[in-house]
Amino acid sequence: MIRLENIIKKYTINKNNTVTALNNINLEFKEGQLVVLKGSSGSGKSTILSLIAALSKPTSGQVIVDNKQISKLPDNFAALYRRDNIGFIFQKYNLIPTLSVQENILLPLVPSNLDEKEVEEKLNLVMDKFQILHKKDAIVRNLSGGEQQRVAIARAHVNNPKIIIADEPTANLDEKLSRDFIQILKELKETNKTIIVATHDPLFFNLDFVDQTVCIDRGNLQ
Amino acid sequence: MLLSPEVLAILLLDIIFVVFSLVAFILSVKIFLQWDIKATTKLQYTLEKQSFLTATIIKYIFALKLPLFLFFIFTLDKISGVLTGAMCAAGVVNATNYGVYLFILKILNIYVFGFWLVLHYLDIKKETLPYTKIKFGFFSVIFFLFIAEIIVEFLMFNSLNPNKMVSCCGTLYSSASSSSYISSIFEINRSVLLILFYGSFVGMIFSYLFSHKYIFSFLNLFFIIISIISLIIFFGTYIYELPTHHCPFCFLQKDYYYIGYLLYILLFLGTFYGLLVGFISDNKQRDKKYILSLIFNAAYIIVVSSYVVIYYMKNGVLL
Amino acid sequence: MLKNKINLYLITYAINSILRQKGKNSFIIVIFTLLTFLLSSIFFITGSIKYELDTTVDSLPQIIVQKIKAGKAYDIDIDAVDNILEISGVSDAMARVWGYYYFVNGGVNFTVVGLDQYENQYKKTFNSIIKKYDLTSLEQNSSMIVGTGVKDVMTKSYYDKYFNFIKPNGSFKRLYIGGVFHSDTELESNDMIILSKDDARDLFGIDENMATDIVVKVANPKEIPTIVQKIKLLYPDTRIITNEDLKVSYANIFDYKSGVFLAIFIVALFTFFMVIYDKSSGLSAQEKKEIGILKAIGWTIDDVLKEKFYESFIISVLAYLFGIILAFIFVYIFQAPLLENIFIGYSKLKTTFELPFVFDFQTLFLVFFLSVPIYIAATIIPAWRIATLEADEVIR
Repeated sequence: MIRLENIIKKYTINKNNTVTALNNINLEFKEGQLVVLKGSSGSGKSTILSLIAALSKPTSGQVIVDNKQISKLPDNFAALYRRDNIGFIFQKYNLIPTLSVQENILLPLVPSNLDEKEVEEKLNLVMDKFQILHKKDAIVRNLSGGEQQRVAIARAHVNNPKIIIADEPTANLDEKLSRDFIQILKELKETNKTIIVATHDPLFFNLDFVDQTVCIDRGNLQ
Repeated sequence: MLLSPEVLAILLLDIIFVVFSLVAFILSVKIFLQWDIKATTKLQYTLEKQSFLTATIIKYIFALKLPLFLFFIFTLDKISGVLTGAMCAAGVVNATNYGVYLFILKILNIYVFGFWLVLHYLDIKKETLPYTKIKFGFFSVIFFLFIAEIIVEFLMFNSLNPNKMVSCCGTLYSSASSSSYISSIFEINRSVLLILFYGSFVGMIFSYLFSHKYIFSFLNLFFIIISIISLIIFFGTYIYELPTHHCPFCFLQKDYYYIGYLLYILLFLGTFYGLLVGFISDNKQRDKKYILSLIFNAAYIIVVSSYVVIYYMKNGVLL
Repeated sequence: MLKNKINLYLITYAINSILRQKGKNSFIIVIFTLLTFLLSSIFFITGSIKYELDTTVDSLPQIIVQKIKAGKAYDIDIDAVDNILEISGVSDAMARVWGYYYFVNGGVNFTVVGLDQYENQYKKTFNSIIKKYDLTSLEQNSSMIVGTGVKDVMTKSYYDKYFNFIKPNGSFKRLYIGGVFHSDTELESNDMIILSKDDARDLFGIDENMATDIVVKVANPKEIPTIVQKIKLLYPDTRIITNEDLKVSYANIFDYKSGVFLAIFIVALFTFFMVIYDKSSGLSAQEKKEIGILKAIGWTIDDVLKEKFYESFIISVLAYLFGIILAFIFVYIFQAPLLENIFIGYSKLKTTFELPFVFDFQTLFLVFFLSVPIYIAATIIPAWRIATLEADEVIR
């Protein structure tokens, strides 16, 4: 379902300095798989996530999702692709602290300008699923770490995306919350979503429900 | 130079327009020359970003152009109070050599900017952004028309002289007019004029039914001209209920319930969509434009004809 | 394009976004409001004064004929009245005897007007005064009628029941205050004294068969220019001032004055433009991150641009509305202290008049075009810069 073909990604720092983040990567992920990208910081795993989310374009090579080439989509279409297909879970949640739970989860839906009823349905569905419905009007900065985590996950789900991308999701969490997160991942896998996690947290390394583990070191697959 | 606050406001905004449209122009030329959707170079990505800036600037200018045009007409009306002899905007327009050209340029630019926007929205709908190169090439040309408009506007306001006597619409829009092109339109036979007017609309209906898009567009272009001429010579007199009052500006005033604005807006919308028809290849889109054009043109014809009908019903005779 | 319904969610987000940067945005709104306030106040004041003057000017005579000698105004011969009456189109002509009397102690000028009991007056106020007070008996009693402002000044100098005028030959002329009058427009009544024509002549040393000037009434106002020409032919040594001349010259003065202020304002506006541009361009890491997140979760560049536009629009329109409302209150309720004087000209007797309420859509549009589009223009490039940030670099 997701294929990276001959991907090379270089960043130009200045005139004389280019950094090769990914060096001729070829990867394939099937639908419904839970994939762990393993590597230290700077290894290139975050870059792979960006490419799959069409947040950046490869220097050469292609990214194909569901038989569609997404690597060269113009910006507006890339964003639409993300809106409909990708759920993003960031390292530090990246919620807007002064807004309420509901307002945060609503964010991916804002530009689509859907009917009020439809929006409410989607919101309630996803808040209920991740057990924060009872706090829907609470301001996010007043929530506990675990609750914020669930808001972040709920936001990633509100558009019912096929692919969930998590970039170092447990980097700022204690062990309990990390395990809670892993438990949620397990439940999500059962809904047949494709989940890709980039992490160097050892908790992920020997899970039985991980379908594929990819090791990356300095832009190269191991 | 007539330095009223309204004129200063218009000129100030003109300066802002010049600066921004220049930026848009430079970017447009750059994009036109170097755009390659298939390329994965940094240049192409930069061009993609810059295309957003250009589009935003053009949208800004267009969004302001419309209310500014109305404000421009209000300002002309106000100035007519200070120019001896002028009793409505018509007098001011004809007070200088530039007035009529300015008007034509302004209206032309509204059509042209409108076309650009339609092209833009069609372009960003498709992933391949198929019309981007053409779009920006088109703007590179429009830019000159736009700058011409601003220059002429400056020139016109600059040459307005409150001490010079000016003709009012009574003398301008009559067969005894000093201006040869205006008096020549009065030579046209009235019945021929009306046949051409109603006939072009009938022609539009037929070309719609037989899907002749180029004929439809051409008829709309013709319709703009014939409508204005017939408005001045024939229909206007029924709005004023005076056989000698031919001014195309006076019915924009309160005394006639500002009907002029409705008429001109309907005419613009009808012909704008009509002209678009010739350029759109997508069938579904085009059908929409056909219908819109016919509706607005029909509305214009109905409103304008109703004045004649009402006059006849009230008075039993025609002017 | 026109068919999409307005995105309330986006607008809500924009409002929240504005509130999230209260400090910066309050500063902008305050300054912007101040600018539109100043601008609107100036336009409201000039608009009201113009209206006031227009009504005053309308009550002035249509044609005034003055004799000119060596470039200065001189007394005119009363015979001219008869000759002018013979011109076709002239409905009435009348000799006026009036002048300014400078009262040293009070430091003010009185306008002294001589009226004749049996003449048809060219001003309504005068007609009602004649009805109320009999000028012939006034003359018999050596009395005069004064305006409210005059009464106050005289009382301050302890002239309670009468006043001693000094004639050109140095002798005194005492006149008793026979009554006090009010006029429709206060600009007039404040400094006016009314007495009989003969008393006025005596006061100013004008000969019996001379007058200060001649006012002419014309049946059809459109014929005024023609009649002016005919009078000029009859009396080439005269200066003729018409109603229209006065209106146009006042209009020009006001446009000039407001033009000067506008020029200054434009400078202020450009400075403001720079400030806005600068402030909008400087992005905090926080802002950048927010936009990065939005793009990552599926907002297109156009969406971000739209949101930024809503922000600019809301801020500038709010500031515009505040400015206009404050200006209304300042000008019409508090009667525009300070600013008013710049336009009327500082004069002791003329400051107590009320600015009439004049509502003009064109002025509102004018202030709008001078403020909102300029603010939005200043935010175009900064908004674009934000919207085209590379999201993936920002969310790490």
